[in-house]
Amino acid sequence: MADEFMKGLAIATASGLIWMVLAGWYNTPGFEDTQLLGADPADPSALEAIALIVKEGLFWFMILGAVTFWIVLPAAREARARLAN
Amino acid sequence: MAEDNDSEPIADGSGTGIVAPDDETPTWSERKERTQGLSRLTYEYFERARREDQDLRMESDYVERDVLGFPAWPHEMIRNFALTSFFVGLILFLSATLPPHIGPPADPSTTPAIILPDWYLYWSFGLLKLGPLNPELSILGGEKLMADRTYGVVANIVVVGFIAMVPFLNKGSARRPVEQPFWAGIGVMGVAFAFTIAALSVKNLLPMDSHLLFDLTFLIPPVLGLISYTVFRAMQEGYMYSLNRRYYRLRPPK
Repeated sequence: MADEFMKGLAIATASGLIWMVLAGWYNTPGFEDTQLLGADPADPSALEAIALIVKEGLFWFMILGAVTFWIVLPAAREARARLAN
Repeated sequence: MAEDNDSEPIADGSGTGIVAPDDETPTWSERKERTQGLSRLTYEYFERARREDQDLRMESDYVERDVLGFPAWPHEMIRNFALTSFFVGLILFLSATLPPHIGPPADPSTTPAIILPDWYLYWSFGLLKLGPLNPELSILGGEKLMADRTYGVVANIVVVGFIAMVPFLNKGSARRPVEQPFWAGIGVMGVAFAFTIAALSVKNLLPMDSHLLFDLTFLIPPVLGLISYTVFRAMQEGYMYSLNRRYYRLRPPK
């Protein structure tokens, strides 16, 4: 149980950290402007395009990973235990 | 088991008459009448817990050693180095990837349009805006006893004084809010007031009528406190019921 929580937390924090860095690089027009949630660069180079894809993937990995380990797997285990009884 | 050893207490909830069956938990008056059984029951409860502990220890292959502590080197230091490197690494990583913004130099010749304290002092800043509460006393010919700014400073003393007084009014033996709904309600009221008075301090930034905001500042906290009091009060019976039920029920032997 605690292990599952730790896995979810590790996924959420680690991918959230990388997401924050990439968003700080590519989606932050300025310190006193929109931060982390700005518009994507208009004409991204190949590297920037890859980074934006990775950022998007990490965002969903952060959410789905935490949901999987905190909700889906425990619920499935509960359901299986209920069905077994 | 009951035949061969009568002195052994039966703890499965059927024999002694001490323990109520699961489906009929005794009422409060019945519990009060039962002064003899409770000590016996407590003894049985802890004795069972102790024996289960002992059985688990006998089954386990974990070797207990007589160790008072671990040596600082290497045991403690390795852990400390691991934690230290983690946080130092995080600081290096963040300062390298997201270098801090350095704004333009401060201009001492102009005053900013909006001057605010740091966010954690908004509540105190809000207390300086209680001018409408400062009464105009007819005994003084419609004059106020003290200036509005003095009144705001005195309000700080009142709030801090109340916070300092609460531990003397209630020593806080409750482990959960549901155990003392009244004080939980007081606490919710205080937290809500911290937020509403902070909102009042930035009233010129909020898209809201400032008179309405002023009224809500003092209306919302008691309402939230009352709601939480009633909710906790409603939860209390069920909470105490299950607590007593757990206490009065001994698990049947496996």
